[in-house]
Amino acid sequence: MTAGTAGKRVSGAATARETGARLTQTAPLNAVLHWSQELLDAEGARVDAMTSPGPLAGMPVALKDNIVTVEQPTTCASRILEGYVSPYNATVVSRLRAAGAMIAAKTNLDEFAMGSSTEHSAFGRVKHPLDPTRVPGGSSGGSAALVAAGVVPAALGSETGGSVRQPASFCGVVGVKPSYGRVSRYGLVAFGSSLDCVSVFGRTVEDAARVLSTISGPDPLDATTVDRAPMRVPKALPDLRGLTIGLPKEYFPADLERGVAAALRRTTQQIEELGGKIRQVSLPNSTYAVPTYYIIAPAEAAANLARYDGVRYGKRRIGAEGDIRSLYRTTRGEGFGEEVRRRILVGTYVLSAGYYDAYYKKAQEVRALIADDFRRVFDSGIDLLLTPTTPTPAFKAGEKTEDPVAMYLADVFVCSMSLAGLPAMSLPVGRSEGLPVGAQLVAPHFGEERLLAAAQALERTLDPLAEVR
Amino acid sequence: MTIGLDEVLHVAKLAELAVKESEFRRLVEQMNRIVDYVAQLNQVPSAGAVEPFLAGPRSVALREDVEGAMPLARPSAAMAPEFADGFFLVPRHGAMEDQ
Repeated sequence: MTAGTAGKRVSGAATARETGARLTQTAPLNAVLHWSQELLDAEGARVDAMTSPGPLAGMPVALKDNIVTVEQPTTCASRILEGYVSPYNATVVSRLRAAGAMIAAKTNLDEFAMGSSTEHSAFGRVKHPLDPTRVPGGSSGGSAALVAAGVVPAALGSETGGSVRQPASFCGVVGVKPSYGRVSRYGLVAFGSSLDCVSVFGRTVEDAARVLSTISGPDPLDATTVDRAPMRVPKALPDLRGLTIGLPKEYFPADLERGVAAALRRTTQQIEELGGKIRQVSLPNSTYAVPTYYIIAPAEAAANLARYDGVRYGKRRIGAEGDIRSLYRTTRGEGFGEEVRRRILVGTYVLSAGYYDAYYKKAQEVRALIADDFRRVFDSGIDLLLTPTTPTPAFKAGEKTEDPVAMYLADVFVCSMSLAGLPAMSLPVGRSEGLPVGAQLVAPHFGEERLLAAAQALERTLDPLAEVR
Repeated sequence: MTIGLDEVLHVAKLAELAVKESEFRRLVEQMNRIVDYVAQLNQVPSAGAVEPFLAGPRSVALREDVEGAMPLARPSAAMAPEFADGFFLVPRHGAMEDQ
């Protein structure tokens, strides 16, 4: 598959047909919620008619189904939004299309992006492309699986606490979360508004960088975007000389899975061979990132999801009592899946009278401490941080669905960067018993260009298919 | 157990969320599992007057306080199953049927 990659102009019509054939072949993955050959052909024709080809001309890009589009439904993998069609396009969609990209499909996800395995979709779980008994990670598992299966060279996902980096690591693709404020959230269905970031999957660092560069930049429709020029696609670095990479000790526990530990050792050696310096550092409050995240994110979710009441959006169920409160409760009780209901209840609990100070206020304090740790380390001369993306490779379907906390801990190395609003990415760096392992690189705010340039240098020299266990 | 069934039902009411009786036991167990887990934040010494955290840089750009229509890709009438005289026509609510 070379369509639209490496900046070459290709026929949109031909790419539409090829992409459609690949989508049909990979249907058993259940990675896609909406696509049609008719819409793909229309995208191809639109691109072919462009008088000045954009930087992504002819590149098919898939979208997580929590990014709104006019032509296709946006369900967030929830029964409560089944059949909902947005009256407007997300800013990222308009920017992709203006750059010549073709919207290929809307992908499956954990309902409202709440989950780490894409098992919490109302429309069935997504299967891992290399082993259908395993999960692709989540919540952007459909987008990750499509890129890993070679259907599209790039896809958009969303991150609230690692939902692109973690599935990128599980599926062996590149996953980049930008700085909070770098990419417009206008048209991204809100989950945790102080955390949500539209993020990018790519088959290569270059593909991900080109897409991120296209969608980044200020947007008058999202007041939290930062008034900075869009990110540029970085020039490839010949080596890593002059860079100091920190290894935070809290992210390398003794019980790290053997293959993950081996892959990170190999990555560290490669950094040194490329002339980079390695320094041990400490981020002590990262230990508390998961509990902090699982207070703040559900609290924000409980507020954001209050709008799904059966009146303004999607499905409506009139309750037994026949009054308006009964309509709200029945619609929400039946429309939301188990994990979403659980998070709404936890979020409402931590915000309720008597518990606000003990949980929500405390979590906000710890969030500030976690962010402060990162600031201190970057101020001490560290250019980038290196950690494992996940503690293990992809786990078996059903392995963690009965214990919500076990599922939450799949995000143990990724949610601290979301809390701190930092750019971070997962790069495939090897395989453990045939399953991909990702290394995570983290940069200071708005350090995406250096982050991606360093990742490209590593990508050139590390074989992601090499068994490292 | 930190949280009992009464508290779960109270929170469900606050959240406007119907909970089925068959789910009570599992929900109470899982809520306790989660709340007991996040309670470990109490181990973090109080940081005193901590600055409130902003996810992005210190100066978040705010747009002008000017009213303006959000641009829609299609006119409202084109999105409505039924539309008349500038209004969306919607099904009558069940509670109104007897009126």
